Amino acid sequence: MAQSLNIVLGGVFHAAVLFLVAAGLQLVFGVQKILNLACGSFYALGAYFGVSLVSWALGAGLPAPLFVLVLVAAGVLLAVLGPPIERLLRTIYDRDESLQLLLTFALVLMFEDVIRFFWGSAPHQLAGAVYLVYGQLTLGRLTIPVYNLIVIAAGGAIAAGMGWLLIRTRFGRIVRAAAENRRMAEALGVDMGWVYSRVFTLGVALGTVGGALVIPATAAVNEMGIDLIVEAFAVVVIGGLGSMRGAFAGALVVGILRAVAIATYPEVEMLAIYVIVIGVLILRPAGLFARAAT
Amino acid sequence: MSTTRRSFLKLVGGASAALATRLDSPPAFAQAGPVKIGVLAAKAGVTAPVGESGLRGTQFAVDRINTAGGIMGRKIELVVEEESNPKDTVERFRKLALQSKVDAVTGVASTGVGLAIGPVAEELKTIWLAWDGTTQKGVEESMPKPKYSFRSVDNEAEAVMASILTARHFKGKIKTVAGINNDYSYGRDNWAAFLAIMKKFGMGVTPVADLWPKLGETNFTSHVAALHQARPDLVFCSFWSGDAPILLKQAHAAGLTRSTKFVMTTAGGVHESLKKDFAPEGMILGYNSMYFEAPGASPLLREFTKWHHAKFKEWPNYESDHAYFTVMAYKAAVEEAGKGAGKWPTSDAVINALAGIEVESLSGRRGYRADHIMECSFFQGISTHKNRHDFVTIDPVEVMSTKQIQKPSGMGLYDWINSWKA
Repeated sequence: MAQSLNIVLGGVFHAAVLFLVAAGLQLVFGVQKILNLACGSFYALGAYFGVSLVSWALGAGLPAPLFVLVLVAAGVLLAVLGPPIERLLRTIYDRDESLQLLLTFALVLMFEDVIRFFWGSAPHQLAGAVYLVYGQLTLGRLTIPVYNLIVIAAGGAIAAGMGWLLIRTRFGRIVRAAAENRRMAEALGVDMGWVYSRVFTLGVALGTVGGALVIPATAAVNEMGIDLIVEAFAVVVIGGLGSMRGAFAGALVVGILRAVAIATYPEVEMLAIYVIVIGVLILRPAGLFARAAT
Repeated sequence: MSTTRRSFLKLVGGASAALATRLDSPPAFAQAGPVKIGVLAAKAGVTAPVGESGLRGTQFAVDRINTAGGIMGRKIELVVEEESNPKDTVERFRKLALQSKVDAVTGVASTGVGLAIGPVAEELKTIWLAWDGTTQKGVEESMPKPKYSFRSVDNEAEAVMASILTARHFKGKIKTVAGINNDYSYGRDNWAAFLAIMKKFGMGVTPVADLWPKLGETNFTSHVAALHQARPDLVFCSFWSGDAPILLKQAHAAGLTRSTKFVMTTAGGVHESLKKDFAPEGMILGYNSMYFEAPGASPLLREFTKWHHAKFKEWPNYESDHAYFTVMAYKAAVEEAGKGAGKWPTSDAVINALAGIEVESLSGRRGYRADHIMECSFFQGISTHKNRHDFVTIDPVEVMSTKQIQKPSGMGLYDWINSWKA
């Protein structure tokens, strides 16, 4: 029982990070109708910047337990990239999807070089002690790093916060209106440029915070964004394009399924995920929760 | 500090150009222009530290050679290209051979890439001196009796040595084993060799899990959970790049390093990342062909270590030695082949000289067998925190020659293992 819980928790930890990236992908698609491959790059940038900012802060005397706040701050600060990139993407909002994919993939390649320029090619990591600053939870033979639970909780909190933002706030209503019918929203006086800029910035922040939060448990490597974006697309297909609830459910399915496959039959780690993807595409082509930006 | 391609080339090329031709170098060769050596080095992802390390070893070798007048009076000029996936790296090899018209190519650390490069080196008749990445599986098909390719050590050598040390240190103390190795031929070959040697030594161990994360994986939370479920007494791992510290960090956080012994055959390749915070004492840790703190280190290794630390603020690892050796071996072969000829030797003459050559490298004497496979010494030992660093080192340090841990030419690995008198 405890071992099963451990495996599920491993999957949920992965799902929490995956959800953040997929949520950014969903949000931007839901409103701007752009499949933004670069959301994987934001995840990688968040990881690298998180390492740099936390290392600097700890060096400057920050008490170690506060490092997680610095990580979140690193992610949020990087959201400053949102508005200029969104301005660039405006040139292709009404163009063919293949062009959108090409441009956002070009951004992925450019960000790889940006990362190389600022951080070099070697992996970057935080000192191991930082990962364990909150200690470990022991359940019989099991030891679970408390930080993993914090990331899971953060993922859940952000999911709840996104739900609240989109359903309960004026901004959320505007976003949903823009996603449902852009022309009608514009006719009613909604400034679409303003909406797009903020939605995209929020999408960037989700990715960068995800990358920053995962970094104590792992290391920042240049390709980490590309690896995750492939899984994020599986999440999106399972959950339904543009659906925030779909991103949440899809991330849990992918994360837990991957963990169970690794523990039972590791050879089918990726196959298991794509069997579900194919199943969803056949039985519910629009995904489990296909409704725009809700 | 990282070396950018541009600054690296500027440094080497600039140094070459700035140095006046020495009076003792033959003018005919000096006027023939530089010797062009292509380098294929990984620059991104978890394998980047290995590529960077190789570039540093190359730089050290080229600086020494050029300062001493070059090879037969010709300075070395490097043309650096990136090692990435097999398809793209093959294209870059072609570019080096056909466009840059290099005299030889060194580099490549990944097995998959190495197996793709071999046939192309033969096709383009371009000497290729691999740093690494020519594991056994597939070699017979893609590099049968190579003429232009000079292979690395058979990759199972580190697994063989680690397995021998496992039997020596842990016999009777372990009943169950698990493997976590990258999902490609190198990882699978290492695990298979380990199990075969455990059987040969009558260790009586049962494999309870074998995990195959892809090369480049950075989240091992689920793998660690799976290892926990399997409850092995010992985990065997052949990670050789940035994934090794990530695995150890996550395993340590999950309490796995407290109860389970670890064998990390090649993690010494990223030794500075193996911080004491999470890398345990008592694991078998391999450094492959060079250990920067080897007891009785040669003056050359001491000089290189000093240079490396002064320049990069890091302690060097084994890929530097592979890279240094390939450049020095090429130089020695050219000089051997050109001796008394009065002209620059042909490729065939250089190839003949390379087969069986032996030179002084950073880890001691290294060479190539007649079948174009590297021979050198391997360094492994038991990890310890008792040192002046913030990362683990090994004590005691065990040294084994490839004559002890590499299958003889023409013999299958398992036939060789089964022939041992255990």
